[in-house]
Amino acid sequence: MTQAMRQMVSAMVMMGAIGLVSVMGVWASAGDALYQAAQEAAKAEQYEVALEKFEAALTVDPNHLVYGNAYRQTVVKINDSKTYDRCIAFFKQLVTDHPKAANAWMNYGYAYVDKIPIEGAITQVLLANTALGHFSTAVELEETWLSRYTRGNSYLYWPAIFGRTPQAIADLERAIKMAQETTQRSYHVRAYIALGEAYWRLSNPDKAHSIWREALQLFPDNEALKTRLELDAKGLNDFLTAHFEPSRRVDTNVSIIWEEKD
Amino acid sequence: MGVIGLEWRTLARLLGLWLMAVCLAGGPAGAIAEPAADGVWFHDVVTPAGITHKHTNRSFNNAYAHIMEGYTALGAAVAVADYNGDGFEDIFATDSKEDGKNWLYRNNGDWTFTEVGEAAGVAGGNDATNASANALWFDYNNDRQLDLFVARFGHNQLFENLGHGTFKDVSEKAGLTQQYLNSIVAIAFDYDADGDLDLVLGNYFQPVSLFDPPTPHFFPESFETANNGGGVTLYRNNGDKTFTDVTDAAGLRLSGWTLDLGHADVDHDGDDDLFVAADFGTDRMFVNNGDGTFTDITEQAMGIDTKKGMNADWGDMNNDGLFDLFVTNITDEYMREGNFLWQNNGDLTFSDIARETGTYDTGWGWAGKFFDYDNDGWQDLFVVNGWVSAGKENYVVDVFKLIVTPNVDLSDARNWPPMGNKTLSGYQENCLFHNEGGMLFKNEAARHGVNSKIDGRGVAVADFDNDGRLDLYVSNANTKPFLYRNVQPTGHHWVQFQVQAARANTLAIGTRLWLTAGGHTQVGFVNGGNGFASQSTRRVHFGVGRAPRIERLEVAWPSGTKQTYTDVPLDRIHTLIEGQAQLQPFQASVKK
Repeated sequence: MTQAMRQMVSAMVMMGAIGLVSVMGVWASAGDALYQAAQEAAKAEQYEVALEKFEAALTVDPNHLVYGNAYRQTVVKINDSKTYDRCIAFFKQLVTDHPKAANAWMNYGYAYVDKIPIEGAITQVLLANTALGHFSTAVELEETWLSRYTRGNSYLYWPAIFGRTPQAIADLERAIKMAQETTQRSYHVRAYIALGEAYWRLSNPDKAHSIWREALQLFPDNEALKTRLELDAKGLNDFLTAHFEPSRRVDTNVSIIWEEKD
Repeated sequence: MGVIGLEWRTLARLLGLWLMAVCLAGGPAGAIAEPAADGVWFHDVVTPAGITHKHTNRSFNNAYAHIMEGYTALGAAVAVADYNGDGFEDIFATDSKEDGKNWLYRNNGDWTFTEVGEAAGVAGGNDATNASANALWFDYNNDRQLDLFVARFGHNQLFENLGHGTFKDVSEKAGLTQQYLNSIVAIAFDYDADGDLDLVLGNYFQPVSLFDPPTPHFFPESFETANNGGGVTLYRNNGDKTFTDVTDAAGLRLSGWTLDLGHADVDHDGDDDLFVAADFGTDRMFVNNGDGTFTDITEQAMGIDTKKGMNADWGDMNNDGLFDLFVTNITDEYMREGNFLWQNNGDLTFSDIARETGTYDTGWGWAGKFFDYDNDGWQDLFVVNGWVSAGKENYVVDVFKLIVTPNVDLSDARNWPPMGNKTLSGYQENCLFHNEGGMLFKNEAARHGVNSKIDGRGVAVADFDNDGRLDLYVSNANTKPFLYRNVQPTGHHWVQFQVQAARANTLAIGTRLWLTAGGHTQVGFVNGGNGFASQSTRRVHFGVGRAPRIERLEVAWPSGTKQTYTDVPLDRIHTLIEGQAQLQPFQASVKK
């Protein structure tokens, strides 16, 4: 069960304790119904309807990571500046109304990341910097594997000169530790991959390789690890330079978090 | 018994040792051994050639001087032309410091040059209120003498060539000093087909004095969409030694931060179109309507961009008969804009293939010129780069802080952090891209000794010794230039054309040439100064590889006349004169 789901259950228990279960039940199903309607509209490419329904669902449950993720993936599919700005403005209002909703801050940060590929180089810097700020708020509100990994990985997109790589390492090491304290999931490998990339950024390819080799013990079938370990120094440089190209879209779809079952 | 008594073998050994020493020392200038096929093909002969000046960036003495230092490392430019008509290409180079003089190097025909700027009357390009930024040779009065235009931050200059190696300042008489412009580029072509060369200027800063700014708001208002720059100025040549500003009438009113201009007939309709490369905002593509006006077709041709356009050079890089365009931008670890290599689709649209061809990343790019350095029949590319190479600290962190400051007024120079002795995109290696059949470019700069990390600005391509191998002059910011002599040993065939129009537009700017050799056709044109901070040779050069003969040369003159020549002799320079049925021999004899 994900952290978000645990939160929802906790809220339901608390609400039930004060006799509002029936209301809570209506409230919960209202959000789900809106979400389902949004998904259907998106599938039918009725995007305006889909966006409205997603926004309505999130207004009902602002901390819902699943709703926010689906909303943003629809925005990415539409892929125009106006829609990205709409999404950013929506999350800005959401976190203003619900400042302690950690997942809303996460989605707010992702919304900025989603817009990066279509913007000029300077605006990309501004968007990335703003996204980092929102991920930091999310970490402070609720430390999860996802929030630590996301912020750590985001730091890696900054050249070493900006001094953010040590912060990336701190976040990613923390994410790995948190993962070690729970059941191993396939997506936990991402923190190892990113940690190795942090050391590459610090011009320490040997350490990068050592981390990836350690990770391969835990995730023996992971192709991304194998690719990185097979490349020579120049090949790795070329590969990771292309990987961190700002105009290359970063996949902010986090559905694997809840799709991977026990 | 002295020398007479020396055994001949000893003499031969001594001679051999002397020759080897001369080769290793790089002088006398003529003595460079032919390299092996896998050797170094370019040798820097700037010192033995007698080119001894050093460019110095302009320092300012105003309230914003400490900030301007980092943003005005410009002005190292070069213009190549045979100003005295002796058949050897001469060099005019600019300096930018307040008491700096500009230099005119007369080519002595033997890889040495004599500096004659003061004697010629063209040295005085800098003073308390003017800084030289670029230069252009063109014939403004159709008297077949090359006159000299100097673009300046301040008031521009025009020197009329009086013959016999002397010039006269006619700037005011020509009507070119009425406006204060911060001009950084000048090209000349006959935009209205009336038989004389018009001047198109690119202006960087808005028209305020940088030496005593009346306002602190003269910096770019945005990094990506700035519209508070100097735009473009079109001076129509009136045919009577005067010019008129017709920018608005021609439809060229812009307010971007122009860094370069490039003209070419991109749709082969007989008139030259115009590309404007702009910093801090979009480049612009204008199609010539043929009636004295231009139409901005940027959106449909290439799209609006937010990059830092620094160079515009046209050349047919894939030999499909259409002129393509190379534009440099800024690509570094902190900002990955990528250059543009605009492939001409033939319908007034262009496709950027910089990534696919390997020309995307040349650092903080400046001049990039098409030229066939190995005469294999494909246009190669030489690109210089680097902004400010200084101390160990990186200025990018300071710029970042500026960028992320909320609600900062970027147009206010006071808000920009001083660079001091920090470096920004410095110590970058120049790139020499060999064209591998029009699909891919391979960087061979290191192999050929042209991968300097000095901050380059302009690249002038010319055959300084008339040997059929294109040489390079590179102007560098705040230091000495390079003069790269091309000694490539491929033995590939070549041909050059010194083109002359019959009456008007004597330099025949805009003339297009199609050369067919060994069954393959290439197209070139006479260009009026394209490329950042540099004017290359006006001669049209074709490398033809191992083709045993030139089957045909077709010429489209600006007047509308067309001519065809067959069986053109290889491996020589021809004089191509409009209306004459035969190519004329090219004469080169040094004038002192």
